[in-house]
Amino acid sequence: MDALLLLTVANIKSFVRDRAALFWTLAFPLIFVILFGSIFSGGGNDRSIGFADLDGTPASGQLKSAFGGIDGLTLVDGDEADLVARMGTGEVAAVIVVPQGYGEAVSAKAAPAMVTVYTDPSQSQADSATRQLVGFVLSAVNQAVSGQPPAVAPAFESVQTNDLSFISYLVPSILGMSLMQVGVFAAIPLVADRQKLILKRLQATPLRRWQLVGSNVLMRLLIAVLQTVIIVGVGTLLYDVQISGSWPLIGALILLGSLAFIALGYVIASFASTEDAANGMTSAVQFPLMFLSGTFFPIDAMPDALKTVARLLPLTYLGDGLRQVMVDGTPFVPLWVCFAVLAAWLVVCFGIAARFFKWQ
Amino acid sequence: MTSPTTGADPVIRVSDLQKHYGETRAVDGVTFEVAAGSVFGLLGPNGAGKTTTVEVLEGLRTPNSGEVRVLGVDVIRHPDALKPRIGVSLQNAALYPKLTVVEVLDLFRSFYPTGRPTDELVALMDLSEKRTTRTQDLSGGQRQRLSVALALVNDPELVFLDEPTTGMDPAARRSLWDVVLGLKSEGRSVLLTTHYMEEAEVLCDRIAIMDHGRILEEGTVDELISRRFHERAVRFDAIDGLSDEQLAAMPGVASLKHEDGEVLLYTGDVPATIGAVLDASEALGMEPANLGVRKPTLEDVFLDLTGRALRD
Repeated sequence: MDALLLLTVANIKSFVRDRAALFWTLAFPLIFVILFGSIFSGGGNDRSIGFADLDGTPASGQLKSAFGGIDGLTLVDGDEADLVARMGTGEVAAVIVVPQGYGEAVSAKAAPAMVTVYTDPSQSQADSATRQLVGFVLSAVNQAVSGQPPAVAPAFESVQTNDLSFISYLVPSILGMSLMQVGVFAAIPLVADRQKLILKRLQATPLRRWQLVGSNVLMRLLIAVLQTVIIVGVGTLLYDVQISGSWPLIGALILLGSLAFIALGYVIASFASTEDAANGMTSAVQFPLMFLSGTFFPIDAMPDALKTVARLLPLTYLGDGLRQVMVDGTPFVPLWVCFAVLAAWLVVCFGIAARFFKWQ
Repeated sequence: MTSPTTGADPVIRVSDLQKHYGETRAVDGVTFEVAAGSVFGLLGPNGAGKTTTVEVLEGLRTPNSGEVRVLGVDVIRHPDALKPRIGVSLQNAALYPKLTVVEVLDLFRSFYPTGRPTDELVALMDLSEKRTTRTQDLSGGQRQRLSVALALVNDPELVFLDEPTTGMDPAARRSLWDVVLGLKSEGRSVLLTTHYMEEAEVLCDRIAIMDHGRILEEGTVDELISRRFHERAVRFDAIDGLSDEQLAAMPGVASLKHEDGEVLLYTGDVPATIGAVLDASEALGMEPANLGVRKPTLEDVFLDLTGRALRD
């Protein structure tokens, strides 16, 4: 049988039988997607608000049903002190207190009836959402009480901008991160095989070096495909992420990105003489890439100094490119720049590895 | 490109091989030949330069200078022409820890255009019960046997075995010896390195003793011994009444020694010396206890050559 094929199969078997490698390359990104997905997707607008009705009149009842009728808002009954305490534990986002005498004040119309609202300014987003909500509901109530139609009413029209939901941002980002890991992790079995003299033993056979490297690359690309299927599958099936781009373009970017990072793995293997050193160097490379390349938050949101760092890192361009072609993300750099930078990384890393990699 | 090998041509011809690592001369001017169909042994302590020499012959290392022809191929210039025709068992080489015995054999078999069936090799190397065991779970001796099996996957003309029995128990060692002698009877040539004296005596047609990167002496076991030691020793438990003068005057005796209550008579004529010992003790009304002849061993040769024992 063909040596290249059998060697690829042997690599796959070795990989599948190595539980740690299997976890880091397949389970780890999956955990990321599911973890972030369940935190940030779906019920993002769901909130609970405490409602303490100290008045108990039909007017306060109306107010309560006005709040209760709002989509995604759950009212929690209780007394004032108790509800405010529950704000501290995050059970309710705000507390509305309807004081005694509210009903009378509304029907007297002498002075505005006061409603107390407890909010938490440290949760700025939730705080302003609550203020808007309360304002909106009270103005509706005011209209109903006064019986006058509003002079001006807004008509909201939605315009879809590039404002991605976080999970849509995350799926291509985590795919990029996983492809990076598959590539960079190529260093570890390679150095282990050299240290155990397996590479030397292979050198004593007619096997060609390109066959050895080729089988290694084939195996890694297969894992890359598997990761793409898993991550995109979970993203689309579980979290309703829409993949909008063309698959040939996505495939080309995945291929180029994987090859660039496999080459980076070979560079690490060129300078690590032991398996432990390879482990250390792999971590030293992968963690900055993971956190400084815009995987978990947009690069535009980074301080300027880190932005400069991000511009130097190859994962920035793979992640950005994948977001552009997969979910129509806002470009950090034009797509052709992503391709060009990854191609440059591939060429440079290949050159360094070809120059410095030792087989024994 | 290469001259065809016939039975008469040596399978290995090395002349003035030099391999230096910085100031260290790992191989310092080694010259020898290995005849086709023979077993040749490189004998020496660790660090003698045996492995470096073998790895140059296998095309794994480039020497600083010297000429190396293996199976008629100029190994330094055309290592790839040689590789399909030789079998190699490296010292201490691990073999894809997560793959099973059969998987590793099939994999290596795929690297060669021709070869032997995996089942045959598994049976030959007594690994039938370990077919589906991962190599990381094999014992040292089993791993060594797999390494030798891998050296045979391509049905090679010439087999290099670097310390093939290290880590084996005596029974496994003997069964490997049978394998090596079997290779020889099939007309293959074998180059092995060892630091086991007995192994070299049993297996090798010719032996080169190496130390400090040089070959100190080369020849058959008998040649090596008789070149250094002309006499054998007749020994027996010391007998009161036989004086040293009497013993030294016996026919053939060149010198004598007392050792742990034994008398050792170094002699060029063993039968005459034994006859004289029997006559003299009979005259005293006694019979010499534990009478025997001690043959010098390779160990003695090595000790004599280097001033130290082979295995420290």
